[in-house]
Amino acid sequence: MSTVCILTPIVIGSWPSIVSAVMGAAGAMGFSVAASAEAPAGTAVDSVETEVANSQVLSEAMSRGEKIRIQKDGVVVEVGVDARGRCSVCASGAGLTKSQLEKIGEDIAGRVVQQFAYHKLMTELKSRGFSIEQERVSNDHSIEVRVRMDR
Amino acid sequence: MASPQFDIKIGRDGKVTVKVHGVSGSKCIELSDMVRDIVGREDSRKLTSEYYGGDGHVRINAEVHDRTGR
Repeated sequence: MSTVCILTPIVIGSWPSIVSAVMGAAGAMGFSVAASAEAPAGTAVDSVETEVANSQVLSEAMSRGEKIRIQKDGVVVEVGVDARGRCSVCASGAGLTKSQLEKIGEDIAGRVVQQFAYHKLMTELKSRGFSIEQERVSNDHSIEVRVRMDR
Repeated sequence: MASPQFDIKIGRDGKVTVKVHGVSGSKCIELSDMVRDIVGREDSRKLTSEYYGGDGHVRINAEVHDRTGR
């Protein structure tokens, strides 16, 4: 080894790039796109909002207030852009405590950052002459990639 | 000489760990900076033995003097 760096991703991108990361995270976690976020009538639904750390959705027409909804086992998660242009995650579902919903929201937020960082790194490294040698998802859901500069 | 290689681990919380192999010295720093600029913010960086290895050869500069000082 020569250097080991630990880095925190900054999630700055257009709304479509965020949606792409959300779709990747949803697929990896077994969520599917929800047509509607409405809860069944008569059901009390709690919701918890989390912010995607270090995120900024680049301003474009229509990006403010846009949301994408995903769902799994009665939990609906809305990922959107707040008034400050940051990416927010709102988890809601009947029969779950606030802390359970908070955990789900934080999990989704982390996986969105993971997907965003993965796609950005791979795109940029490929454009700089690197190619993927190995790639795998480990048991702890980390993505491990080995890239090498083409000769 | 080996070509530059990155071993990248992206945790489920998004945290990225990058190990740079196959280069040393300033080239190694340059590649680490490149990855940092792509990802975002650097939390920590550790230089390991390969960083100091140059081209992989150990150079010894030695001078031998006899006891008369010549």
